[in-house]
Amino acid sequence: MGDLFSNLGLGFGVVFQLVQWTPAFLHGVSIPIPVNILLCLIGALVGTLVGVLPGIGTIATVAMLLPITFGLPPVGALIMLAGIYYGAQYGGSTTSILVNIPGEAGSVVTALDGFQMAKQGRAGPALAIAAIGSFFAGCVATVLIAVLGAPLTKLALAFGPAEYFSLMVLGLIFAVVLAKGSVLKAIAMIVFGLLLSMVGSDIETGASRMAFNIPELADGLGFATVAMGLFGFAEIIRNLDAGGESDRELVQQKVTGLMPTKKDLIDSAPAIVRGTVLGSILGILPGGGAVIASFAAYTMEKKLSKNPSRFGRGAIEGVAAPESANNAAAQTSFIPLLTLGIPPNAVMALMVGAMTIHGIVPGPQVMQKQPELVWGMIASMWVGNLMLLIINLPLVGIWVRLLRVPYRLMFPSIVIFCAIGIYSVNNAPVDVVLAGAFGLVGYWLIKHDFEPAPLLLGMVLGPLMEENLRRALLISRGDWSVFLTRPLSAVLMGIAAFLLVLAILPSLRKKRDEVFVESES
Amino acid sequence: MSDTPSHAPVKSIMPSWVRGPQDFIGGVAMIAIALFALWASSDLQGMRGFSFGAGTAPRMFAFLLLGLGIAVMVVGLVTEGAHLAKYHWRGPLFVSLAILSFALMIRPMGLVVTAFAAFLIAAMGTAETKWKETIIVGMCLTAFCSLLFPYALGLPLQMWPKFMIQ
Amino acid sequence: MKLYGRLLAGGCLAIVAGLVAVAAPAQAQTYPTRSITMIVPFAAGGPTDVIARIVTGHMAQTLGQTIIIENVVGAGGTTATTRASRATNDGYTLITGHMGTHAASVPLYPNLAYHPEKSFEPVGLLAGTPILILARKDFAPKDLKEFIAYVKANETKVNAAHAGIGSVSNVSCELLNSVLGIKPVGVPFNGTGPAMNALVGGQVDYMCDQIVNAVPQVNGGAIKAYAIATPERNPSLPDLPTTTEAGLPAFQAQAWNAIFAPKGTPAPIVARLNEAVSKALDDENVKKRLLELGSVIPGPKDRTPEALAALVKSEIAKWTPVLKPAG
Repeated sequence: MGDLFSNLGLGFGVVFQLVQWTPAFLHGVSIPIPVNILLCLIGALVGTLVGVLPGIGTIATVAMLLPITFGLPPVGALIMLAGIYYGAQYGGSTTSILVNIPGEAGSVVTALDGFQMAKQGRAGPALAIAAIGSFFAGCVATVLIAVLGAPLTKLALAFGPAEYFSLMVLGLIFAVVLAKGSVLKAIAMIVFGLLLSMVGSDIETGASRMAFNIPELADGLGFATVAMGLFGFAEIIRNLDAGGESDRELVQQKVTGLMPTKKDLIDSAPAIVRGTVLGSILGILPGGGAVIASFAAYTMEKKLSKNPSRFGRGAIEGVAAPESANNAAAQTSFIPLLTLGIPPNAVMALMVGAMTIHGIVPGPQVMQKQPELVWGMIASMWVGNLMLLIINLPLVGIWVRLLRVPYRLMFPSIVIFCAIGIYSVNNAPVDVVLAGAFGLVGYWLIKHDFEPAPLLLGMVLGPLMEENLRRALLISRGDWSVFLTRPLSAVLMGIAAFLLVLAILPSLRKKRDEVFVESES
Repeated sequence: MSDTPSHAPVKSIMPSWVRGPQDFIGGVAMIAIALFALWASSDLQGMRGFSFGAGTAPRMFAFLLLGLGIAVMVVGLVTEGAHLAKYHWRGPLFVSLAILSFALMIRPMGLVVTAFAAFLIAAMGTAETKWKETIIVGMCLTAFCSLLFPYALGLPLQMWPKFMIQ
Repeated sequence: MKLYGRLLAGGCLAIVAGLVAVAAPAQAQTYPTRSITMIVPFAAGGPTDVIARIVTGHMAQTLGQTIIIENVVGAGGTTATTRASRATNDGYTLITGHMGTHAASVPLYPNLAYHPEKSFEPVGLLAGTPILILARKDFAPKDLKEFIAYVKANETKVNAAHAGIGSVSNVSCELLNSVLGIKPVGVPFNGTGPAMNALVGGQVDYMCDQIVNAVPQVNGGAIKAYAIATPERNPSLPDLPTTTEAGLPAFQAQAWNAIFAPKGTPAPIVARLNEAVSKALDDENVKKRLLELGSVIPGPKDRTPEALAALVKSEIAKWTPVLKPAG
């Protein structure tokens, strides 16, 4: 424990480090500048901006800003990049809530209830609770990294292909549970998403699959492309339908308080805690852990709630839980990087790149060899989260005011922002056209009461699921029983089966009541 | 997102034995997608011993979707359900046109011209548009984007039409 | 008529040739007049990207113009390479290719839209990255001899990890397997990170990978290394024997990175770029950073465009028989 405090002390020392700046015009008088704090602030601001802009993803931004950090000292560079990463997690919820456009896989679930809250004039509380939940999760996860980072690493290593496959199955079951309507249609959407994720090149043979010789499809459909289409463009087209007008007027008139009420806070507190715990654990798992975290947290709240029917209709827990979970996961996903030197996702891989460029080779010994770097980063996360809370709470008012912009001006602007965002991912005009096509698909899906969220989850988890299934079967030489004989995998499969039964039973029982529910709404 | 759609159901073009046209058509479309995927993945290798081929998983998912599509269609046949929702052409048409022209123009024409043009085309998507106001807002937005994306975020975007640069 | 036509054509040719002759040196003297785009066919922060950034950083000083790095990812780097092969050949678009994009891609992708030799002008070799034979830390064999005997005896039981079709780890492991005459089960991962994670976690038995990724894990005791597939030992892991010392001289593999220009880029421009590359490789700071990565810096005679052309030719010849049956 004493170690922990001295380590954290070292970390905060690094973060609050002052660099003496002696400009010539002051004639020898030097000004102390907290360089790392400033870099952390810049990172957090850029991250928020990136998160808010639809389409521009964290990976792309970190990749673009990587060269800028070359001129900085390594600790400062990494603090700034980390700031962008978790800043984007904060910002990502903003578009989900305001305009129903999730910028990252993790904020797809936030859009479900967040956007409904916005429609009911409660965008302020939704945004605020997202920031508060994220802050709490960030603080807890930072402490967790500091205290349990090393032992938790074992979890990441214990996860082999069989465990990942079972986790992905569990993730897909979450997608069924979070659907509001027909279970059958939700499963159909997941499978549609899985099918879409198959487009691209095969991992084992490199064969091109269903890409029709279109070079832009050779690496598969991008998440941003499909998400912008199904959520962003489709929502716009639907809103332009006659009759949508009254709906939109409503949003603008009903804006009630900006901050959550006492009741909101009481309702969301347990959700935030549970989301944080789930997110912290799942975030450690490389590849997909962080994505599943938000879905898992949402599903858990829906199942634990006394009145699950509120979910998908503007339940504040439905925003608080996934937002806490994805921020916690974003923080704990640093654990494998810091303790093993192995990047668990694409953003972390860029961090490794940043380290190597600065001559730091991340690996199992990085904690001993570069304690000021590791602990400086951990301490900066806490500082960064605090900054983000301070940045984001006042912004809530501005965002809510944005909703008052007449829709006739708002929607062309969203179209332009989305188009630029999608184009910037790969500089490929075809991606923009594809997103447009998915907009029409999404419009059709809405008209036929299919939900796009399960589709998107299927698409994100599809490749992970297939790859790990194939790896597991390769390693077991085709023996399917590995999924049940490996204990961790068996536990995950068990939970999945249990949840599936829970999801299907009520829908069978309630079949008759459904008619009434329909006519009510 | 999926509020119960359809405000005023269209006069049903479906035969009377289809009791839930919305689900029926939805199921048929899923079946069509599944069949298309089966066709598109038919050239891919299947199982090789115990290891999956490139086509195994796509075909597996396509068959699954086929089954689900049939199930959704059957549900649409036998249970009373929602009617087909009404489609509108104006919004989808102009928003799609805006997106398409953005994609076609961004390379040769650069960000400034493209963003402004696409903004105006998208704005045609609703009858509520007031042109004077739209043009002013479009210009401001274009200016904002031209500063934000290339400068604040450092995106490598071309600003002006190609012929003007050379 | 015929004669007249020929005369005309001949005259035109002469004028064009004259113009080219006059223009070319002029171009080379003034080149570069604006910033140069360097396409890197892999993600920012990867081994190729890091090497490209270190070297181009110094080249920009020599050339007096900025070099903008553009990371274009996809299809094992072939998307970017195809784009580079179609770029204007004026010396303002270059590509940092590597062993995969400019050699192994030929047998791996039958429908490749470019050819490493025919579509590019070689500019200069940047650095080589040695390949190591790695295994999980509790894998039974203690040294390379035991490893060879073990994998031959347990051919159907062992699992070799790699970072995806066409990756350096995949290609070099195929070479190792063909040298050993075995066909173990290859388990594909999505990139080096996940593959390394599986090796550290003991999910797979062995893999071949670039020294950059492996050094910290080997030093930390998370995995073990059997040998380095280069003629000489590497200063990053001085105790690690070479494959020749350890008894497998046939396995020689090195990932390399080099700069290429689109076909038809004027020779004086190529020469100017080559000079800048060579100057960068002689810089103490550049040298130090490359060595830190475990890279091998080419000697003076390996730095010429001709040497690079020969390398590409020999590498294609080397990988084609190894990868053809697999792909």
